[in-house]
Amino acid sequence: MSQAELAVEVQNLSVRFGDFYAVNDICFSVSRGEIFGFLGANGAGKTTTIRVLCGLLIPTQGKISVAGVGLEQGEQAIKAKVGYMSQKFTLYNDLTVEENLEFAAALRKIKKEVYIKRRSELFEFVSFDRDMKTLVRDLPGGTKQQISLVASMLHDPELVFLDEPTAGVSPVARSRFWALIRKLAGQNKTVFVTSHYMDEVEQCHRIALMREGKIIGLDTPLALKSSTFPKLMFEFNPKGSLSFDEVMKLGSNPCFSFFEPYGLRFHASIADEKAWELIKSQFEKDFYIKVISPSLEDVFIKRVEERK
Amino acid sequence: MKFSWRRAIAIGRKEVFHILRDPFTLATALGLPVFMVVMFGSAIEFNVKNIDLAISDSDQTSASRRLMDTFQSSGYFKIHRVVSPNEALVNLTTETARASVIIPPNFEKDLTSDRGSQVQCLLDGSDSSTVAPVLGYLGKIQSISNDRIAAFNPTSPFELRTRFLFNPELNSKWFVIPGLNVIIMSMLSILLTALTVAREWENGSMELLLTTPVEPLEIIIGKLAPYGVLGITAMVFVYIIARAVFGVPFVGSLVVYGLGSLIFLMTYLSQGLLISVVTRNQQVAMQIAMMSGMLPSQLLSGFVFPIESMPIFFQKFTMIFPARWFMQISRDTFLKGSRMVDLGIPFLALIATCLLMMTLSTRIFKKDLEK
Repeated sequence: MSQAELAVEVQNLSVRFGDFYAVNDICFSVSRGEIFGFLGANGAGKTTTIRVLCGLLIPTQGKISVAGVGLEQGEQAIKAKVGYMSQKFTLYNDLTVEENLEFAAALRKIKKEVYIKRRSELFEFVSFDRDMKTLVRDLPGGTKQQISLVASMLHDPELVFLDEPTAGVSPVARSRFWALIRKLAGQNKTVFVTSHYMDEVEQCHRIALMREGKIIGLDTPLALKSSTFPKLMFEFNPKGSLSFDEVMKLGSNPCFSFFEPYGLRFHASIADEKAWELIKSQFEKDFYIKVISPSLEDVFIKRVEERK
Repeated sequence: MKFSWRRAIAIGRKEVFHILRDPFTLATALGLPVFMVVMFGSAIEFNVKNIDLAISDSDQTSASRRLMDTFQSSGYFKIHRVVSPNEALVNLTTETARASVIIPPNFEKDLTSDRGSQVQCLLDGSDSSTVAPVLGYLGKIQSISNDRIAAFNPTSPFELRTRFLFNPELNSKWFVIPGLNVIIMSMLSILLTALTVAREWENGSMELLLTTPVEPLEIIIGKLAPYGVLGITAMVFVYIIARAVFGVPFVGSLVVYGLGSLIFLMTYLSQGLLISVVTRNQQVAMQIAMMSGMLPSQLLSGFVFPIESMPIFFQKFTMIFPARWFMQISRDTFLKGSRMVDLGIPFLALIATCLLMMTLSTRIFKKDLEK
């Protein structure tokens, strides 16, 4: 892929705090117009990587290029190219929509006429039709997220970082928000997203799995699933009154490479097909069994949490 | 990247919205100083009055009665007549009296002789706050008594005549209010800003701010300015209360006083910001602000305890507290009419501390972000 098509390039990036490596020698690249997901447990190094890519943190070593700008050009040059939206804080609740957006525009020194034009474009983009004088605290969660996205896009960044953007909003609002993300990618904007909702992350073009500061997997959701579970995957739906502990004891059989609860059911991957054939009839007495394709949650549990 | 006034003003404007839409902050900033000045200004009284005094008169003559009348008419003492010197002593130990006067037998007779007479005064030394003023009153009462008992007045080689300048009636309100103003504003201003940066760290908005090209100095200036205006408004209210309610005269220049107030406020607001930047936690910031703002300004600013009476080390140590310098500016402009040239050292010290606090906040803020 040519340099011009890359939105993010990271080479041997490490961030060390004292003796602790928050990020340990990671390499990856993200193309323009790509929706790139970052998955990992808390403390895996996702936020630290994003902080470096936003120009908030100087790495201990490694090279980064964000929208063609490197750290050698200064972190302010990177900040001018990126937009950032976090779940923790979206907007100032005691300010109106207009005041929040004016504030965001002033911090980026956007000219008034450019700001007004851009604001109306983005309002149309997110289908915002409320009064701009509404206090943010009076808006529903989903609308707040939309306005947050508008605030992070006012300066027309080439790359947007969305750090758990839909945490705490309704499923309908989440679905609408993801429609916006896809629309952004359609406009050749690169979207870098972290989320704990697996169904959301599944909508990313590619996903990086992080554990203990390292990237332990990077591919499309489908490829990640097939590389994590190369063999058949089954769903076990208990028929009778087996207790959870009894089911898990059955699941500890060495013929399974993976056996984990999934709601009221259980997902299992076979390690030894011959051994499975021998005990299959025994399991069919207690479970309805069907072949399924693994979910991203299964991948996460298997690879990030490294459970059987 | 260059400092941008547009960004600093945007941050200031945002803070104004926060202040205006938070009735608690507004009420605290404007109402509390007024309330505290009225309350503490009425309560604090440095002139000690109504001191319980036990008098044992073993002479029972016209001279001893005149002496007792002088104590009575001074207005400072509440007289308890006792029958014996021993009872006068018991009154002290049982805390019925703070001081006892024992007039010996033959008081009048001795006065008329060449020997002169001695009256014993016993003071409760366990309460040093009353001892010093009582000693002052005793000297004055002795002098008046000698005049009253003119026939027995020994001739003095010279007479010491005292006149009090700037506060002729030694009205302690005139002294207390301009000082109280310093204490209240130092406490309040440090608290106002101690929470602002910490709050942004706690709710995550600081991260978002920092993803924009905003510079730490722009955040510092933007946050200081609105609270500075709020503080000055509170100072104006307090000034009006001091003049209108307590009748404290103001003989100095309002420009000098206003300028001093502004620098003083900015210094404490910057100290609050520094605390906020370092702690990043509202609760800890609040505790440190109270400790570093309230205690030194009350105890080491010269408000109650004169700095000249402190050990040399503490006299020097108080120089790091802005309240010490503004205490001087406030009292001197109110009562003595001191000009800018007379207050050069306090002004320079305040400016230096203010710049130091602002530089430290900005530097530490910047350094923190690069971690």
